Amino acid sequence: MCPVTLEKLTKVYPNGYEAVHEFDLEVADGEFMVLVGPSGCGKTTAMRMVAGLEQISSGTLRIGDRIMNDVSPRDRDIAMVFQNYALYPHMTVGENIGFALKMKHTPKQEIVNKVRDTAEILGLTEWIDRKPGQLSGGQRQRVAMGRAIVREPKVFLMDEPLSNLDAKLRVQMRAEVARIQRRLGVATIYVTHDQVEAMTMGDRVAVMRAGVLLQCDKPQRIYDSPVNIFVAGFMGSPSMNLFEASLGEGARSLRLGSQEIVLPASVLAARPSLVKYANNEIVIGVRPESLAMAGPKRSASGNETVQFEGDVDLIEALGSEILVHFSTDAHRVEAEGMYSDDAEGLEAGSITRPGDGVARMAPDTQVTIGSRIKLQMNTKRLYFFDAVTGLSIEE
Amino acid sequence: MRLFNRIWSRTFAYVVLLGFTAFFVVPVIWLLLSPTKTDHELVVGNPFAIGTLHNLSHAIHVMFTFEDYALLNWLKNSAIYSFGGIVIALACSIPAGYGLAHTQFIGRRTLLGVTLFVMIMPATALVLPLFLEANAVHAVGTPWSVILPFSFFPFGVYLAYIFYSSSVPKDLLAAARIDGCNEWNVFRRVALPLARPIIALVTFFAFVANWNNFFLPFVMLPNSTNYPLPVGLQDLLAATPAFNPGQGGQVPIYRPELAIATIVAMAPVLIVFLFAQRSLVSGMLAGATKE
Ligand SMILES: Nc1ncnc2c1ncn2[C@@H]1O[C@H](COP(=O)(O)OP(=O)(O)OP(=O)(O)O)[C@@H](O)[C@H]1O
Ligand SMILES: [Mg+2]
Repeated sequence: MCPVTLEKLTKVYPNGYEAVHEFDLEVADGEFMVLVGPSGCGKTTAMRMVAGLEQISSGTLRIGDRIMNDVSPRDRDIAMVFQNYALYPHMTVGENIGFALKMKHTPKQEIVNKVRDTAEILGLTEWIDRKPGQLSGGQRQRVAMGRAIVREPKVFLMDEPLSNLDAKLRVQMRAEVARIQRRLGVATIYVTHDQVEAMTMGDRVAVMRAGVLLQCDKPQRIYDSPVNIFVAGFMGSPSMNLFEASLGEGARSLRLGSQEIVLPASVLAARPSLVKYANNEIVIGVRPESLAMAGPKRSASGNETVQFEGDVDLIEALGSEILVHFSTDAHRVEAEGMYSDDAEGLEAGSITRPGDGVARMAPDTQVTIGSRIKLQMNTKRLYFFDAVTGLSIEE
Repeated sequence: MRLFNRIWSRTFAYVVLLGFTAFFVVPVIWLLLSPTKTDHELVVGNPFAIGTLHNLSHAIHVMFTFEDYALLNWLKNSAIYSFGGIVIALACSIPAGYGLAHTQFIGRRTLLGVTLFVMIMPATALVLPLFLEANAVHAVGTPWSVILPFSFFPFGVYLAYIFYSSSVPKDLLAAARIDGCNEWNVFRRVALPLARPIIALVTFFAFVANWNNFFLPFVMLPNSTNYPLPVGLQDLLAATPAFNPGQGGQVPIYRPELAIATIVAMAPVLIVFLFAQRSLVSGMLAGATKE
């Protein structure tokens, strides 16, 4: 039983830079915790503090009941998969996997058996006598995994283990890593800046930004109710459309650029505190998949939907769906560092220009570039944020 | 026209290359042929003429038996001094380079600067102070007076530092720590085995420097039985009438015999080079590409 507890963990680098600020996180035994955030937000730093590779400036780290702040890495009983794998180049695959056991003075025969079993699980048997330099990226990644799982540690730490793989292999290894973790049932902290990995792999997801933990919850909860603009924009691909808007008198209408949208009473009923923002600037958000073409007739739930117009700039056909990029005269809002610069994000269509919005629609939708379309959405799927603090207006 | 140009530039390149080859190879051929001739033939004959086997065996015999096998004794001394120096130099420079590259401590940058400074300082400049130092501790004339200065090899420290800081990522050492290594084992199990090309490189450079060093042992060792080869060669020169007309008393040495001694002095460096060549190349490329 080894939960990992981080209490107000802070890291100030010798040059005075505070990379992690009062970070609280509790990873239950056997839980798969994904730590996600844009590049440079302190994910690696947080993980290295857990591993003991980086001195903790302040705060407390517990593994099980034991305070680990000043315990050396080798006594923490953790295994780590590094972003660049960090395999020992002078050892064979087998020696790499068995190295930790050897350092623990495990009997020779036992090492041989365990290494063989691990290699088999990971499909590395064929390459067991090769040096890492003679392996492909995917094989190296599996050796790095093997080196971690053979030890049966109390805690797994994985720092973007899939980021060096090509898209296809990444998808495949994603499932494999998750499966292995479930089977071993070891508390795991998994760092990534890829929100798809975060959504699909984690039991819970912790979203970080600039050294601060913003939200930690089940992936679906984070997707459905992000605490602020940043989390809303970061999770989901293509990301949520966020526009500046102003709330009308009594919060009964919304001004989006030059368009006036009448809000049904149910919106205010669900979020009474919106009244406070009446006649004020707010930020509204809507996910691309919540947008649909407004039909000639209002749909059954007619009074729960609102409509607005946009000009179609670009249509991306992805086979299973199309992404319709449209522009309005409303200002698009972007939280700093919201978009990961990784290739998968680009493929999925986050190439919107500021001011644009994206709608995800069925491939047979009739749209043409340059036309003006009417978009509609259910008000239940509409998000409201405080324009100043960026916090979600939930109630 | 273009073809014509190409032929000309090719020809030009070959002429230049051949010129340089001749410049460097001719003396070597001359040296290798010398012991097969008599002293007289050597001076007046065709430089590329090949002498007789009889001359060769005579020269070898004279040279090796000279002063009760002094040449073999010098060879042995050279080997002891060179390898003694190398062993200590390696034992110090590899860990030192590792420490400079991968630990933080006060004065680290200063130490690096000093290393660089003493590295570019000519070794001969230190000989006299070293002599005074050795004299103060009554080490003059002992093998240590040569071995210890030989083992001072800042170039090795610098090479190891460059290697460890450019080719051994910090995460690799971190991985070893997480895998259960204490600091000693991180070095012993991971850092040291990786340094093999650098060990070969340091060994080679230190060997060449030590083996050919003349001035330091010349100053430190007054007794001919302690001489390494270069100092012994100088002794032989003094016994050669052609170079030292005033020489008297000693058994005279002639130039073909001197050539034998020179070849004996050169051979080990050549042999070590031939064997070390492959790891040398990989060592020099170390750090050029990241693993
Ligand atoms: N040794 C150091 N000294 C000073 N600042 C550092 C040091 N290491 C990292 N930083 C800074 O701390 C911040 C967090 O770095 P960290 O490596 O934890 O980011 P990350 O979230 O892992 O990013 P990525 O997704 O790019 O790996 C960065 O701004 C970085 O510049
Ligand atoms: Mg990182």
